[in-house]
Amino acid sequence: MKVVITLTLLLVSFISQSTEQAEQIFHQLAPSLYQIRLIDKASEEKSSIGSGFQITDDGLIATNYHVISGFAQHPTKYRLEYLDNNGNKGALELKSVDVINDLALVQRTVTEKMPYFKITEKEPLKGEEIYSLGNPHDLGMIVVPGTYNGLKIESFHDRIHFTGSINPGMSGGPVVNSLAQVVGINVATSGNQIGFLVPHDKLFTLFNHYLKNPPKNIDTQISEQLIGSQKKLISAMLSIPWQQKALGNAMIPIIDVPYIRCWGESNADKADAIALLAVANCALEENTYINGGFFTGSVDMEFKYMKSKKLSDLKFYHIYQQHILRAGPGNKAGKDDVTEYQCHHDLVKPDAGNMDDKAILCTRAYKKFPKLFDVLFIAASIDKGDQSLISHFTLSGVTQESALAFTQKFLESVSWK
Amino acid sequence: MEIIIEEINRGEKLLSRHRFLTDNVTIGRGYSNDIILADPHVCPEHLSLSFVDDHWLVTDQSSINGSFLANGKQNADQHRVRSGDTIRVGKSYIRLVLPDHPVEDTMPFSPFESIITLMRNPLVLGFNILLFAAVAGMMFYLNQPKEVNFNQFVVRGVSVTLMFSLWPILISLVSHFNKHEARIFTQLAISFAMFNLMWVSDVFESVVAFNMSSNWSVASLITLLPIALAFILIWLNCYIGFHMSARRRNIIAFSITALLFGGSYMLELSKKPEFTTRPGYDATIMTPTFKFSSSSSVDTFISDSSKLFTKVEKVAQEKD
Repeated sequence: MKVVITLTLLLVSFISQSTEQAEQIFHQLAPSLYQIRLIDKASEEKSSIGSGFQITDDGLIATNYHVISGFAQHPTKYRLEYLDNNGNKGALELKSVDVINDLALVQRTVTEKMPYFKITEKEPLKGEEIYSLGNPHDLGMIVVPGTYNGLKIESFHDRIHFTGSINPGMSGGPVVNSLAQVVGINVATSGNQIGFLVPHDKLFTLFNHYLKNPPKNIDTQISEQLIGSQKKLISAMLSIPWQQKALGNAMIPIIDVPYIRCWGESNADKADAIALLAVANCALEENTYINGGFFTGSVDMEFKYMKSKKLSDLKFYHIYQQHILRAGPGNKAGKDDVTEYQCHHDLVKPDAGNMDDKAILCTRAYKKFPKLFDVLFIAASIDKGDQSLISHFTLSGVTQESALAFTQKFLESVSWK
Repeated sequence: MEIIIEEINRGEKLLSRHRFLTDNVTIGRGYSNDIILADPHVCPEHLSLSFVDDHWLVTDQSSINGSFLANGKQNADQHRVRSGDTIRVGKSYIRLVLPDHPVEDTMPFSPFESIITLMRNPLVLGFNILLFAAVAGMMFYLNQPKEVNFNQFVVRGVSVTLMFSLWPILISLVSHFNKHEARIFTQLAISFAMFNLMWVSDVFESVVAFNMSSNWSVASLITLLPIALAFILIWLNCYIGFHMSARRRNIIAFSITALLFGGSYMLELSKKPEFTTRPGYDATIMTPTFKFSSSSSVDTFISDSSKLFTKVEKVAQEKD
């Protein structure tokens, strides 16, 4: 009993200590914390809100790109505004962005030197207590204590796994260690105390870049970042050998990297199904946000094996054809962002392979970001009367070179056993 | 003297034809007349024709509603007949023709005549209808995601066949109402033969779409095939069902085809959104039996595809 009491006491003191620390941190840094508002010029009302924090004494503020994306994409429709802890408002100027890591730098005017957040120089330890700051749902600035749980492994772009509640409106707010140094930036949540942060080094890089070489045009900057990121991603996938895995009677490629995750499903349990169907689906479970209606940077692959049970070839192919009729884009994009798709189709057989395919490749170009495309590919085997394999992928925001290199490797790595 | 009197309807279709070898002909509702018209707007003694001084002369017998030339308002009383004149009495029309009236040239049998005769052969007709029903049943079987039993197959085949036979029956009815011979079996024979040709053209279209790459742009011309077949079908329907000049038949067949295909094309065009994120591609696949062309290599596919990028990039730069 004594032990229990001691433990409880210990716990209480620990919690009160951490609360105290949180309070102190909050108090100390409150003047450098802002609510960032996107104001619709026509209605003069805020259209979206987020949080931000000052990182220099002369008024440079860091936030998320997605908080200010409306302004970055439609600078004539919106203006940017900050709200500080005393309720003062002021205009903000967009300075630099990093769409891949969802960061942005905005500038307010200051009359005198102000306190600001320092960026940490070393990563926190796993299990270390860190504090997320922000303004959830426009309810006022709050502090949320939570735990650092290292980098998310299944992610191509580094994200810190934070155990603690991050809510809408806190996006762009800083996450600090007990020394009040920034270790990350609030960016996303999957609910139930699982939050994601952009690591501090991304902000550090963006900031240094900005100091040395401030971007002249935000669209050009985004374009360069997208091209750089897709090159890194596609060449990372193409540089490793693709493993072969059986799906029914066919062999399909598996790209064995942690950020491509696969799922499977089949109708083997349905005795009355007229054909056996097995599906494997592999995808990069993250993408890059450009604006509300435009995402890019996705990679999706789907393999569908079918084997007919007592069906005539004619009927089997008739059903099979239904499965390739309605392929759609893998990412969301609108009329202002992309062109319509144009497609090419042909019967294709790799020199070294044993599968004859009808192959279809469709592509659309990005309107604001030259040299970038979305690609959609379907290959349907046409050499067996009672079996079929559909191999399908979509890539978004890739260059022609990346798209074609990926297509070639993909086509060549599908075969019959 | 000799005169031929035709009763015609408002559309100039012949109702009856009488030939007289006298110098006097009377027309009216009364039974004493040479030509008795049942029209209630015609007087019992309405009109008489008499041969005077080398000419036929029209005399209106002071009728209540009068007699007029053609469709106009010109009174026909004391009119000197020229061959081919039409006179309106009451609501009826009569046409006066003299024996030396020129007739149109003899219409030669169309080269289709022998095909029509062959199709009309009961065996060929039966075969065509059966074939159509079988294909219709087959299409149903192919489109069902589940297995289909024989009963369903037959019911579907028969019902689609009955539905499609409405077209030739409709044409026969129209020609019947237009005082032409109905020739219903000939219409059925021709229509089902053409319907079957349309199935064939469908298969042909698929085979071409399946075997040819999108580099082969002539493939789109093949979509004209069903339009041509529809034109021939309507042309033959007109040929069998109605006596009309070749020019008129061409115009009618062309107009109906244009209406059918143009209409559905317009409808499709109006439904098409201004911008779509859906890719439009040809997804035709057929069983290995239908593969006639040889496959391209991956390199060819990649280099053909690379042209797409240039194309869409150009589109992206065009706008704003």
